[in-house]
Amino acid sequence: MKFLVTVGIALALLTLESVVVKQAGLVLGRIDVTVVLVAFLALRATLLEGAFSAFAVGYLLDLMSGQPTGLFTFLAVFTFLVGRLVSSFVDVRGALSFALFAMGADVGHGLLSAFFTWLTVKDGGTGQALAGLPLQVALTGAAAVVLFPLFRRFEAAQDRPAGLLR
Amino acid sequence: MLSLLKRYRRPLIVGALLLYPLLAFLLSGRKGRDPNPIDRAVIAVSSPVQQALTAGIEGSVSAVRHYLDLRGVRQENDALRLENLQLRATVQALGESRTENERLRKLLGYAEAAPGPEIPARVVGVNPVAKLLSVRISGGEKDGVFRGMSVVTPDGIVGQVIRATGGYSDVALVTDPQSRVAVRVQRSRARGTAAGAGSGPLKLENMLRTEDVEDGDLIITSGTDGIYPPGLVVGRVTNLEKKQHGMFQGADIVPAVDTSKLEEVLVVGSPYSAMAQGNAAEGAAK
Repeated sequence: MKFLVTVGIALALLTLESVVVKQAGLVLGRIDVTVVLVAFLALRATLLEGAFSAFAVGYLLDLMSGQPTGLFTFLAVFTFLVGRLVSSFVDVRGALSFALFAMGADVGHGLLSAFFTWLTVKDGGTGQALAGLPLQVALTGAAAVVLFPLFRRFEAAQDRPAGLLR
Repeated sequence: MLSLLKRYRRPLIVGALLLYPLLAFLLSGRKGRDPNPIDRAVIAVSSPVQQALTAGIEGSVSAVRHYLDLRGVRQENDALRLENLQLRATVQALGESRTENERLRKLLGYAEAAPGPEIPARVVGVNPVAKLLSVRISGGEKDGVFRGMSVVTPDGIVGQVIRATGGYSDVALVTDPQSRVAVRVQRSRARGTAAGAGSGPLKLENMLRTEDVEDGDLIITSGTDGIYPPGLVVGRVTNLEKKQHGMFQGADIVPAVDTSKLEEVLVVGSPYSAMAQGNAAEGAAK
């Protein structure tokens, strides 16, 4: 996916999520839509394009958190790189396998996020964040199933070859 | 050297993209940074969309609710009329007490505390990161909202402004694990600290074991943290633990405001004092 489209999708998903979370009243269980997007980038994007896109997606998540520290920007790029490495060993084609892939990425992302948060805030509710991780991963997996066809459609729209009449 | 840079251009760029935010995080910690022009532009683009989505969803939900609520509205109306009468009588009595209080304060030579502005705002979205419990409200610098000001509802305190941009602000909730509020027990005036604990009740900390606290006591802000004005409702004491040893006793505080169902809020406090207290507010959030 092209960089600007990725940024647009990330912004739209995060905005939508913030509204959904407000309506649903979820306190700690969140859907990691950005991890789903980064997982898709890890499977499809080139190294530079994906790294820049993951950086932008992480920056947006950082910004939406209210206290941008750079943590989620780092984690997005790291998740992209690890996902890219893992994708060379596994075959991810359908929506279900993509959901499993995204859930794996979310587990890693969640654990690292909790670890780095614990590094800076010793009594910052790390235990609660970890306790909420299974629900978060399950919600992220469900979101991945829904978002996979959407991402594929966006990707197909951009990769359309230029014909004679275009 | 140039050929080496050219050869390893890709790994170097990716390495920079990976390490720059990590270094920024390790250097700034959890304090974050002030919004730069890019941050402001992104917030200016995303927040109106958030607001429109929230308004759309809430409008649909309330339309359905209004229809359902029409049933039994007559009985409720009668009950409310009665309650209104009682409340008017109470207000009248309180008015008398207030006049008396003002007269006595004047006699004692107390300085009148400037109440500062009360800026109404709507909650437009919730922070999608579970690490920090915060909400975005539709009031920003142009409305007189600045970092460090406190956010309340008529029921009690909600949180503290941690970032303000043009027309929007982010508010860290009192339930956030990093939140600390100086409080006192309304009945006995005993002082302590209300600490956020994520979801669920707040924790009552730093309350000396010898202090007079009971289950059900109302907890209010003491105003000694310089962020929240004194006398605002925080919640009620529950699960009191009177320990045999140690300096402090512990308890839970059920927040007066359900922060997961916020719609409208008031931003209070003087913007000038909030700006001056930027660092103090940050410290209190720790």
